[in-house]
Amino acid sequence: MKEEKLNTLRQQDVALREALRLDEAELTQMPADLNARVMKQMAQEPRKSRIRQLWPWLAAACVAGFIAVLVTPPKDQTPTVALQTPSPTMKTPSPTIKTPSPTLPLNGKGEVSPEASKVEETMVAKKETKEVAQRTPSAKKVRNNQKKQTTPTSQDTEVYNDLAEVQENEVFTPLPSGEGQGGGSAGAVVTLTERDIPITRPENYKYTPEELALLKKQANEAYLKWVELELEIAKHNLGQTAQQ
Amino acid sequence: MTETDIYLIQGLRKQSPKAQQQALDRYGGFVFAQVARLIPGVENAEEVYQDVFVKVFRNIGMYDEGKSSLKTWISRIAYNESITFLRHKSQPVIYYEDRNGEAEKLSDTEVDETFGQPSAETVQLIRAAMKHLPPDERAIITMFYYEEMSLKEIAYVTESIPTTVASKLSRTRKKLYKIIKMLQS
Repeated sequence: MKEEKLNTLRQQDVALREALRLDEAELTQMPADLNARVMKQMAQEPRKSRIRQLWPWLAAACVAGFIAVLVTPPKDQTPTVALQTPSPTMKTPSPTIKTPSPTLPLNGKGEVSPEASKVEETMVAKKETKEVAQRTPSAKKVRNNQKKQTTPTSQDTEVYNDLAEVQENEVFTPLPSGEGQGGGSAGAVVTLTERDIPITRPENYKYTPEELALLKKQANEAYLKWVELELEIAKHNLGQTAQQ
Repeated sequence: MTETDIYLIQGLRKQSPKAQQQALDRYGGFVFAQVARLIPGVENAEEVYQDVFVKVFRNIGMYDEGKSSLKTWISRIAYNESITFLRHKSQPVIYYEDRNGEAEKLSDTEVDETFGQPSAETVQLIRAAMKHLPPDERAIITMFYYEEMSLKEIAYVTESIPTTVASKLSRTRKKLYKIIKMLQS
């Protein structure tokens, strides 16, 4: 039906319009405080714009997570390798320890004053203690044993010789085979072997080249035996057939 | 659109309480009547009314001046909120459904004559028959005859197209006449 015709009908349908007008007149009146309630509700409800303001933070968190995933090294690169082979910094004593620091205060004879040497020594000891504490409990036990048997070296007057000795003891002392052996300084570092590291991750279960060669050899032997067995079975079957 | 309307819309977009109060004063009565017409019970109507205006104030950013006036846009929200309330929260009510299409067979002349009679009896019959119409059809009839909205505006409010609204109006008119006849018999 066209709009024009409908508009004409709208004018003609007087009874319908009158009925609607009466209905509207009988409708319940709007409560006077309803608008005030709406305004109160508007004031109480949290604004949606606050929720909208969250999205940049969410996006930033997602980007940070993505970067963290990218930057994190894969599980194959375990730190056990670094522990198995002593690092060059551990083998060679640090030049800052062996050579007197230019900033250290010197006495009249051109030697380092005892107070300064004590400061440097304590710094080294602290550093080493921290390093050992991060390693395995077995190494800690060994170090404690060494502590008991070691005479204090801090009372020595010759700073350079003492420091060098401490460093050599720390770095090159082999792992004692039993308890009660060994004799390093208080902050002695023990080179860890594979046996000292508890294998807790599956990627550490790796065969050595010798073990791999042995496995291959055993596999080849087994294969040869299997071939021989197959040949014997074939021969036996042929004999059976010939007899029949 | 008048200058006052422009200022009002700008104020609403800035979430100004003064503009919100102004919008409530200007359109509150109209919206409440529209809601109360569709929804039975004053408490329910009040609840929907509050929801309508909260939605209007929150989503004013989505209002497009080029598509409709602010009043029509608010009316659309009120209509949708009312229909949603009726579908989900209201008690189910049985309305007259012309499943056999008998109303369509009625002659236009007969229908025009009945609705054109301004007698008290006919008016009462129409009012009684209106209560048997489904809410959406009643809303369309009211929007067209009482609020004198154009087909385009009704289509915007009901999320439809003008031709559909026109055919729905014609069908509802005949259906109303059919109910009157049933009430008379």
